[in-house]
Amino acid sequence: MRGWLRPALLPLALGLLVFLGAGKPQAGERRVVFDQLGRRLEVPADPRRVVALAESVTEIVFAVGRGERLVGTTRFADHPPEALRIPRVGTYIQLDIERIAALRPELCIGTRDGNPRAAVERLEALGIPVYVTHPMGLSAMLASIREIGRLLNAEGRAEELAGDLERRIARVAARAQAQGRRPRVFFQIGVDPVVSAGRGTFLHELIETAGGENAAGEAEGYPQYGAEHLVRLAPEVVVITTMTQGADFEAVRRAWGRFPNIPAVRDGRVHVVDAAVFNRPAPRLVDGLETLARLVHPAAASP
Amino acid sequence: MNPAAIAVQEVSFAYEEAAVLEGISFRVEEGDYFVIIGPNGSGKTTLLKLLCGLLKPRAGTIRLFGAPLSRRRRKALARLAALVPQAASAEAPFRVEEFVLLGRAPHQGLLGLETPEDLAIAREAMAFTGTAHLASRRLDRLSGGERQRVLIARAVCQRPRILLLDEPTAYLDLAHQAQIMDLMEALRAERGVTVVLVSHDVNLAAMYASRMLLLAAGRILAAGPPGEVIAKGPLEAAYGCPLAVETTPGGVPRVSLVPNGRRPAGRPPPGVREVRP
Amino acid sequence: MRTPLPIARILRVKALLLPVFAAALLAGLAWGSGGGGPGALWRSIAGLPLEDPVLADIFWKIRLPRVLLAALTGAVLSLGGLVFQALLRNPLAEPYILGISGGAAIGAILGILAGLPRFPWGSLAAFAGAMGTVGLLALFSSWRTGLGKDALLLSGVMINAFCGAVILFLISVTSDVRLFNILSWLMGDLSLAAMEQVALLAAVTAVSAAALFFLSHGMNLILLGRDTALSLGVRLEALTWALLAVTSLMVGVSVSLCGLLGFVGLVMPHLMRLLFGPDHRVLVPACVLGGGAYMIFCDLLARILPRQGEMPVGVVTALIGAPAFIFLLRRAAR
Repeated sequence: MRGWLRPALLPLALGLLVFLGAGKPQAGERRVVFDQLGRRLEVPADPRRVVALAESVTEIVFAVGRGERLVGTTRFADHPPEALRIPRVGTYIQLDIERIAALRPELCIGTRDGNPRAAVERLEALGIPVYVTHPMGLSAMLASIREIGRLLNAEGRAEELAGDLERRIARVAARAQAQGRRPRVFFQIGVDPVVSAGRGTFLHELIETAGGENAAGEAEGYPQYGAEHLVRLAPEVVVITTMTQGADFEAVRRAWGRFPNIPAVRDGRVHVVDAAVFNRPAPRLVDGLETLARLVHPAAASP
Repeated sequence: MNPAAIAVQEVSFAYEEAAVLEGISFRVEEGDYFVIIGPNGSGKTTLLKLLCGLLKPRAGTIRLFGAPLSRRRRKALARLAALVPQAASAEAPFRVEEFVLLGRAPHQGLLGLETPEDLAIAREAMAFTGTAHLASRRLDRLSGGERQRVLIARAVCQRPRILLLDEPTAYLDLAHQAQIMDLMEALRAERGVTVVLVSHDVNLAAMYASRMLLLAAGRILAAGPPGEVIAKGPLEAAYGCPLAVETTPGGVPRVSLVPNGRRPAGRPPPGVREVRP
Repeated sequence: MRTPLPIARILRVKALLLPVFAAALLAGLAWGSGGGGPGALWRSIAGLPLEDPVLADIFWKIRLPRVLLAALTGAVLSLGGLVFQALLRNPLAEPYILGISGGAAIGAILGILAGLPRFPWGSLAAFAGAMGTVGLLALFSSWRTGLGKDALLLSGVMINAFCGAVILFLISVTSDVRLFNILSWLMGDLSLAAMEQVALLAAVTAVSAAALFFLSHGMNLILLGRDTALSLGVRLEALTWALLAVTSLMVGVSVSLCGLLGFVGLVMPHLMRLLFGPDHRVLVPACVLGGGAYMIFCDLLARILPRQGEMPVGVVTALIGAPAFIFLLRRAAR
């Protein structure tokens, strides 16, 4: 799965070179970079007009202090609040190529996790370089921060942020190590049906780092669960996020209440958390990690 | 001797396992007005379909004008024999003229591009069948009698030497029945077209046919001029009910049902024999 | 002369529909989320300098392939509906009816699940799926029942229903971002059109439309019913197979490139019949132009109606198509 564009790499790179050779020269200096899929691309040395093709990218760009360079972002980009004022270019899955082109970006930053490959190809065919991130875990997310910092000439700020996040992650991991026992954690994403996160997801990594054992760890991707299976899993901690807001949370908690024999229900360890910090591979994920750590090991977490 | 328009020799046919026709042999001469009668399920329609190549016989041969039917190409066959099927479907909202023109297909190329000559033939066919005034009407909005004449016009437009019709007078009133039968006679007399017609109406058939064929349970019970076929013996054997046969003043045999086996009210008219044993 | 000869009627229909098609093409190029408008389009066509040079890219590199793909797929689906309505003598027949959509969808979904790029491998998988169901169909309907319209229809509907179950199964075991790719494909998507896809579909459409034009008089005769058609010298089996093969091929290619776009193949043939009568020699070119224009129009709506992003064009064709179809059926019955 990794390096999905690799077969197309050479022709693409050549095409890009040909295009650049034939096209009108851009103002300013250009340089060659490799994105997180290993694709070679030429980008402006100091891109001023940037379109973020995913909400997570928008958050990172703001976090490294370059939010003012964003001329376009995806529909649900709501963090930080300033992001709400940026023009929209569709959803990260259904990108509006035409609107992106009309914004005349010097650089697009996308994600492997959602942007259709054909959309990336269409943009590059128009001569717009697309840097693709591949945020499959905490360390990859930190790498994305550093890379985006480098792309936007904000290395200092990015390094500072990434280092800080790294230290916070290490602290959580160290405390978790000290606990020894790993409670079984069930992370519930959907309400109806009940969906969890299995191996190979960043939520899995979050649970492990926070010192828990992922109750859904036997599955891969995002498995669905029926009530019978939940009782059998017998999680010790249940953490619920949902995309929908408000009253549903209580309904979900009540739904778990029907099974008092599940340890998490018996011990009152069914928790509802803010979905926003768990949804996107962005700096806020570390806030999520710390929250999770407090829920998994309440005693150890308080400083 | 000229080859017969249709020569059927020892023809058998079965749909699945059940035999529909068994060892049928007969001839239709050119210029005949040939009517096939028989009870429901006797194989009349199947026989008609065999005659125009819609079905292939299991055994036996059918020759049209001397040549085996199975050796003719479908299009060549269509120039020789036209079919007016029973209750022909007309779901498409063709106008009458367009519909009649489709009869030219066997004479045309793949695209069926009509020449002015094709158009003239279609108009002539409509004039002949008395449907010229319907030319721009839609087929699915015609009355039963009009529609049947248009179906015939399409077949006439095909300019066949043999015209096969499956119950063309079904669902028509008396006047329209006579109109259709007269039309067939005109076609036979004026153009030498051999007419083969399946009918349920024994008396109507007897009035027009030059030769008849009585079919029952896949076998021929009688064949020949109406006077020979419309006879008590074969008809009762075919229909399995008591019948009375008389001869009208014009010399045409007439059949009537004897209700419930009882003698009709009053004395039987002279010439009618008591049929019930 | 009351009935003009067919060539004259075909030319008249073309003269009537070509301006409509051209207008749709220009409108499809002129408007969209990236701006533009007729004035800018005109300047770009005339070679005059544009205020915003990026508009040239938007007109010719983004919108043109998309508009052309819409036109081609609209033409293909309309022709497909026309053929199947004649072949099955059923006004409800549409190009997907015999399981072509179901098979293509299974192929496409398996392609997406295997992580294949959409073009050409995903398209090839979808195409293979479509052809697979057509093969099954041929097998089933030749077993005993022969190639009667009811045998075809029943086998096709059952294959389609089974494919539907397989699709739901595949969706239920998929739980990551690929699910969105599947849904977006199922809803029909023209947004990522590229010129090589347009070229492929253009070639297939040109060949298929030409073939169907040559078979169009045969479709007229099929409408007369099996017995009459045979008695008029039509080689019904061969004609049926030829129509099935050509239609499956072009619809399979279109579905594999653009996904499932419902109701186009149902609405356009009925509309064209209402306007120009039942002669297929006229209807084939009419469906190419009319279907193309209609699809460009639907795609334009899909692009400009939502204030943010786009709506899948399949949603638009179905939203317009279903009520339009009911209206057309009523008109035709009157």
